[in-house]
Amino acid sequence: MTSKGTQAENLDHRRWIEGAGQLTGEAEVGRSSPERTRAVNEVGSAIAHQLNGPLTALRLYVGELRRHGGQFGVTAESQGQLQQLVEAAFQETERVCAMMRVIADSFEEPLCPETAAALGRDVITWWSRSGEARGRDPQDTSAVDALLTPREREVLGHISQGCSNKQGAVRMQIGPRTFESHRFRIMRKLGAKNGADLVRIVLGKRR
Amino acid sequence: MDPLDLHDTQKTAQFARTAKRILVIDDDVSVTMAIQAILIRHRYETVVASRAHAGIHTFRAAQFDVVLIDLFMPGMNGLDTITRIRGESVVPIIAMSGFRLRNSLDPDRDFLGLAKLRGATTSLRKPFSSPQLVAAIEHSLGLAQADEGALQ
Repeated sequence: MTSKGTQAENLDHRRWIEGAGQLTGEAEVGRSSPERTRAVNEVGSAIAHQLNGPLTALRLYVGELRRHGGQFGVTAESQGQLQQLVEAAFQETERVCAMMRVIADSFEEPLCPETAAALGRDVITWWSRSGEARGRDPQDTSAVDALLTPREREVLGHISQGCSNKQGAVRMQIGPRTFESHRFRIMRKLGAKNGADLVRIVLGKRR
Repeated sequence: MDPLDLHDTQKTAQFARTAKRILVIDDDVSVTMAIQAILIRHRYETVVASRAHAGIHTFRAAQFDVVLIDLFMPGMNGLDTITRIRGESVVPIIAMSGFRLRNSLDPDRDFLGLAKLRGATTSLRKPFSSPQLVAAIEHSLGLAQADEGALQ
């Protein structure tokens, strides 16, 4: 995995968490907030879990470069410059890893570690898939999609990308009310109790 | 600051009769590739497996001096893998995980603590650094040698 790709994924995840917050916030008006907290925690800890792998790899590579970086420079000057760059990259890596630990420690215990780990993998898989599929029709041919009309699939695609009712409506050039009613029908068809539940179902984890 | 620099590594490698063999079981390819890159530089022979079952199979098929196991993998989880390997061998096992539960002062609910209860020799919390990785392996090898010495 390139560092560029990882960076893009991080950004995507942040957007996705924000999107998930919107989903739960909107759909769970009047619903219990612990449920929402739990959903956000599970997704959060899953993402923290997922990021640990690439971060570990990055830390190992940069640490190794820093220790043996001197061997790569040809002239004394270029060697000095290279050392500076390596040192800067190393310090940044250490900083990100320290932040990662704080993040990983700040989530509540997931219902089940295996579930959180699996959910994290789903998030990655789903993101790479939706990244490829962006701008095209939702390409998923799963059982979930078989239940939905093409229009509902389109709505679900926007919801999965973290769109609010308003954002989704603008994208599809329909009214927010219409978008909302599509969403309501999707939730009823898929048996989702709320927005977070819908996301879980879309990610393939059914209750 | 580093417990070991390249000079020491070369010296160690020079005196070592055979390279120590390390088995790494982790489904995250970016992690196994990085670990392998570091361990090769430190003159360790490294074999990787991306699934728990494949890892156990590999472990049974050859001789290893240390086994590194990620706690969260699809299929069989790392804790069960540790139990299985510990059931058949005294090989040093290093458990790897990024998870440590908040509000869990109880060691039974800390995954790395749990791994030790299942028989892991030591643990590495992701994201770990290369000196930490090398130190954990050397520590494990040292313990194994001490055990052999005690038996003789």
